[in-house]
Amino acid sequence: MKTLAWWLIRAQFRTRRAATLLSMLAIALGVALGYAIHLINAAALADFARAMQTVQGDPDAVIAARDSAGSVALASINDIARDPAVMVIAPVIETRVRVDQARLLVRLIGIDVFSAAAVMPRLLPRHSERALTGSIFDGGVYASPALRDKLGLQDGAPVTLRRGDQQWSTRIAGDLPAAGADDLLLVADIAWVQEHFGPDDAVSEGRVRLSPDTDPARWRATLTPQLPAGLLLRAADDDNARVSNLSRAYRVNLNVLALVALLTGAFLVFATQLTAVAQRSTQFALLGVLGLSPRMRLLQVLLEGLAIGVPGALLGLGLGYALALAFTQLLGGDLGGGYFATSAPLLVPQPLPALAFLALGCGASLAGACYPAYLNRMQPLAQALKTGFAQRPGAARAPHTRLWLPSLLALAALALTQLPPLFELPLAGYAAIALVLVIGISCAPVVTQYVFGYLARPGLPAPQQIALQNVAQAPLMAQVAASGLIVSFALTASMVIMVSSFRVAVDHWLDAVLPAPLYLRSKATPLPQELLQALLRPDAPFARIERTAHASLTIDPQRPNVALMVREIERGNPGARLPFTGAVMTPPSDDLVVVWISEPLHEIYGIQPGQTLRLPLLGGAVEVFVGGVWRDYSRQFGALVISRDDYLRLGGDFQPTDLALWPLPADAAGEAAGAWLAPYTSRYALELADAAEIRQLSLSIFDKSFAVTYALEAAAMLIGLFGLAVTLAASVWLRAGELATLGALGFSRRMLSRAVMLEGALIAAVGLLIGLACGIAIAAVLTQVVNPQAFHWRMPLDVPWSAVVFGALATLAAAVVASHYAARQATRLPVAQVLASAQ
Amino acid sequence: MLTVAGLAKRHALASRPLFSDLALTIAAGEIVALVGESGIGKSTLLNCIAGLETPDSGSIRIGPQALDIVRLDEAARAVLRAHRIGFVFQAFHVLPTLSVAQNIAVPLLLCGVPLAEHAPRTQALLERVGLAGFADRWPASLSGGELQRVAIARALVHRPALILADEPTGNLDPRTADEVLALLLDRVREPRASALIVTHSQQVAQCCDRIVTLTADGLR
Ligand SMILES: Nc1ncnc2c1ncn2[C@@H]1O[C@H](COP(=O)(O)OP(=O)(O)O)[C@@H](O)[C@H]1O
Ligand SMILES: [Mg+2]
Repeated sequence: MKTLAWWLIRAQFRTRRAATLLSMLAIALGVALGYAIHLINAAALADFARAMQTVQGDPDAVIAARDSAGSVALASINDIARDPAVMVIAPVIETRVRVDQARLLVRLIGIDVFSAAAVMPRLLPRHSERALTGSIFDGGVYASPALRDKLGLQDGAPVTLRRGDQQWSTRIAGDLPAAGADDLLLVADIAWVQEHFGPDDAVSEGRVRLSPDTDPARWRATLTPQLPAGLLLRAADDDNARVSNLSRAYRVNLNVLALVALLTGAFLVFATQLTAVAQRSTQFALLGVLGLSPRMRLLQVLLEGLAIGVPGALLGLGLGYALALAFTQLLGGDLGGGYFATSAPLLVPQPLPALAFLALGCGASLAGACYPAYLNRMQPLAQALKTGFAQRPGAARAPHTRLWLPSLLALAALALTQLPPLFELPLAGYAAIALVLVIGISCAPVVTQYVFGYLARPGLPAPQQIALQNVAQAPLMAQVAASGLIVSFALTASMVIMVSSFRVAVDHWLDAVLPAPLYLRSKATPLPQELLQALLRPDAPFARIERTAHASLTIDPQRPNVALMVREIERGNPGARLPFTGAVMTPPSDDLVVVWISEPLHEIYGIQPGQTLRLPLLGGAVEVFVGGVWRDYSRQFGALVISRDDYLRLGGDFQPTDLALWPLPADAAGEAAGAWLAPYTSRYALELADAAEIRQLSLSIFDKSFAVTYALEAAAMLIGLFGLAVTLAASVWLRAGELATLGALGFSRRMLSRAVMLEGALIAAVGLLIGLACGIAIAAVLTQVVNPQAFHWRMPLDVPWSAVVFGALATLAAAVVASHYAARQATRLPVAQVLASAQ
Repeated sequence: MLTVAGLAKRHALASRPLFSDLALTIAAGEIVALVGESGIGKSTLLNCIAGLETPDSGSIRIGPQALDIVRLDEAARAVLRAHRIGFVFQAFHVLPTLSVAQNIAVPLLLCGVPLAEHAPRTQALLERVGLAGFADRWPASLSGGELQRVAIARALVHRPALILADEPTGNLDPRTADEVLALLLDRVREPRASALIVTHSQQVAQCCDRIVTLTADGLR
C-alpha cells in the first residue's frame, strides 16, 4: 500500500511540477517568515536580557523614581536598608554622557564597589597597571571593551565627559572585564559621578539583595504601599514584561503577514490538489474498482498534500534561518523597528519552536488538501469511470441557504469588530478579517449565478452564450478560480488602502506637529546654557523660539515608559500646537495642572479627557486634569504634554532639550539662522534640521517600513493569478469531451478559444469585484480596529481609488492572458480522440 | 462461484426498473457470455456484482465463503474486489502515470503480496499476454490492442476467482479484437477462474461455455 501511495505521489510530482513547486514555495515562504521573526525576536530578547544582566545584575528588587527627572533620596534608601530582611542595597547613579567630541551618547554608571560586588558583579572594574594612581576612589572611569575599541581609548588617557553644561575631566583607569561584547559602558565611583552630574543627596536607583530566608515577592508586596509617591519597586519579571511589550505589536503584525503567506500556501495546495483530484478522477475510480478502499482514496490525497507540505516546511525552516541571519546582520534585532539598541544578536535555534513551525507548514498543506480529499472519497465509482469527475456529489444546496450563510457570517464579523482586544492583541479583529474572506468566497456562487444567469440569453453569439452559461452554472472549478482571486485581491487591496490611509494621516499629522521651519535637538540631554543665553540676546536671528524639555515617567512598571514633554504652550490654547482628536476641555479651576495626552496613552491606560488623575511627577503624586487627546503617530507607548508654566508652578526645573525656531522674515531660507547656530551645533554635537527634512525623513522611514508588505502584495496577486490559470486549465481539461463535441458540431477553434477566454475574464471580474468589496471591508477593520488595538492609534479610512482601480484592471488584463493559456489548451484538444474515448 | 438471486434495480430517475427478481449462477471455472441490446442494463448488472452500484434488493454471493456483497459496506466491498475480482473495461483505463509493469502490479499491492514476488509475477503475465519487453514502457506509447492486453494482465495478476469484462473488445478493430479475446479466454481458463463477459459479438459468445441474454423480462 505504501508503494502504491509512493508511485502515485511521484507521478503527481512528475506531471504537475510547476503547480507542486509553487505550492511548496508558498508554504516555505510562510514558514520562513514566521520562523525568522521568531528567531530574531528570541535572539534579541536574549541579548537584551544578557545586557540587562550585566548592568543590573540580578537584584531581588529595584527602587527607582517614576519620573526620569526624579531620583531616589538617600534618606529613602537608608530607611529601607534598616529593614532586617535587606542584606544589602547597591546605590547606582546612571546618566548619559558624551565622551570628548564624539557624537555617541554613552551610559555612565556610578557604583559603590562593595555593594556592587554583591548585586552586580559584572560591573566590577579592573584597575590598569598603567593608570596613574591607586584605585576607583581616586576618580578614574573604567570603559567596557566595546567602547574602548569604538573610541580608541587607552588606559591612562585623559577624557572629558559632558552632559549639557556639566562636564568632568578625568582619565581612563582601566576596563570592565565582565562586560558583554556589545555593551558601551563607563563605570566610575558613585561619589565622583554625583559630584559632577548630580543629583545631590540622591541616587538613580537602589538595587536590593534580600537575606536568603526572605520571600522577595512578599517583601515587595509589603513595602510597595509604604513607598513615597514618586518611587516604585521593580522586579526582574517587570523588566522582562516591559521588553516583550516593547516589540509585541510589531511582532504580531509581522506574524500576521507570515500567516497570510501560509494561508495562500494552503489555498494553492487546495487548488492544485482539487484539480489533481478532478483530473485523476477516472484513475482513482479505476483504483477503487481494483479494490482501493474509500479511506485510502481519502488518505492518498491528504498524503499528497503532506508530500508538498513537509518539504515546503523544511525548506521554510532553512530559509527562515537564513533570513533571520541576513536580517540581524543588516538591521539588528528589531528589524529596523528601533526598539532594541543592540548590534547583530546571536541566533540560537531551539528544537521545539522549529518543530512547531514545521507542524504549522504541514498543517497548512493538510488543511488545503482536506476538501479535495473529501471530494475524492465521495466520488461515485461507476459514474466517475463513465463520465469523469463529479463536481458536486450529493444534492446541490438550495439558493436561500446560500444567502443566509453569508448574512449570518457578516453579522458575526460585525460583532467581532466590537470586541475589546484579547491579551492586548487585536485577535477578534483578525478573526473578523478571516470571516470577511469567508463571506466573500461563499458569496461568489450566488453572485455568479444571478449576474451571469441574467446576462446569458438566447440571441447572443454562440461563444459568449456558452461562456456565460458555464460561469452562471458556477461549477466548482470556476468557484475555486474566483475564490483565489477574491482572497488575493482582497488582501492586496486592503493593504494598499490601509497603508495609503495611514500615509495620508501621517502627512496631515506632520503638518500639524511641525509648525516651525527649524528644529534643534540635543538627543535627550539638556541644551547648554551658553546657547540658551545667546538665544535671548537681541542679535539672535529668530522671530520666535519655543523650548521643550523631554523626559519620561513610569506609569506601569511592566510597560515601556511614557514620554513627558514640557512645552512652552498656551494653557488656554493648546490647539495651536497639538493636533487634538476631539474637544479640548478647560479645567474646572485655574489652580489645577492640565496635561494633554496622546492617543496611545488614552487607548493603553484608558485615560479619558475631562477626568482628573494623580500622576507621578517631580517625585510626588500630582493631581492633574486631562485637557484633551492629541494624535501622535511617533510615540507608540504614550506621551503627555504639560505647559512650562504648570511645570514651573509644580516646582520643576525646566531644562530644555529641543528647540523650535522661526527665523526672521528676512531670512526665509534659514541660512543666516543656520550660520548663527553652527558654532553651537558643532561644539555640543547638536542636531539641526528643517521641517521639510524631518518631514521627508519621516515619510521615507514610513515607506521603508511598509516595503515588505508591497513585496507580499505582489506575491499574493501572482499566486491568485496562477490559481486562476491552473484552475481554468483544469476546467478545460475536465470539459474536454464537451468542448470536443462543440468542435465536432462546427465551432471553430477561434470560437472555442474566445469562449474560454471570455469565461476566464468573467470569473476574474467577479473575483475582483467581490475582492474589492472585501478589501475595503478589511481595510476598515485594519484601520478602525486592528491599528487602534495593536498600535493604539487611529486614522480615517482613505481609499486611493485610482491605484485600486488600476490594480484591478491590470489584474483583469493578466487574467485574460492567463486564460489565453487555458484557451490554447482547449483548441489543441485532439477532438477525434477525445470523442472516441468518451463512451 | 457466483450466485445472484432476487436482484432488483431501478435507477433514480428511470420510469421502469431495469430488472426485478433476476437470478444467475456461475460455477467455478465456468465462462459465461452476457448479451443483450444496448441500454438494457448489462453494465449495471456487472457494476452491481462488483459492488460499484447497490441493487434495490436481492443478494450477490461471491467466492467460497459466499459473502453477500450487497450487505457489505464500501470498505469491505473494496477488499472483496481487490482479492476476488478482476475487471476489464471497454475503455482500457490504464493509468497513464504508471509504467506498464507498475500498472499490472497495482492489484498485487492492493492484495498485500510481498514486493519480492511482484517482478516475477508481472513478468510472467507480460510474457503470456505477448508483451515481453514492454515492462518499462509508458501507456501513452502503446496501441489500443496492447493497452487492452495490459488491462487483461492487470485483471489476472492477483489470480482472482471471478473476472468481469464489459465489452472488452468494443474499442478494438476486428482482428485485434479476436486476438485479445482469445488471449483473455485462454488466460481465464488456465487458472480455472470464472468469468462473466459482456459482448455484442456472436463469435465471442460462441467461444464461451454458456450464453445468457438479458432482456427487459429478465435473463434467458
Ligand atoms: N447512474 C444512472 N442513473 C440513471 N440511469 C442510469 C444510470 N446508469 C445507467 N442508467 C440507465 O440504465 C440503463 C442501463 O444502462 P447500462 O447498464 O449502461 O446498459 P448497457 O450496458 O446494457 O448498455 C440505461 O437506460 C441507462 O440510461
Ligand atoms: Mg454497457
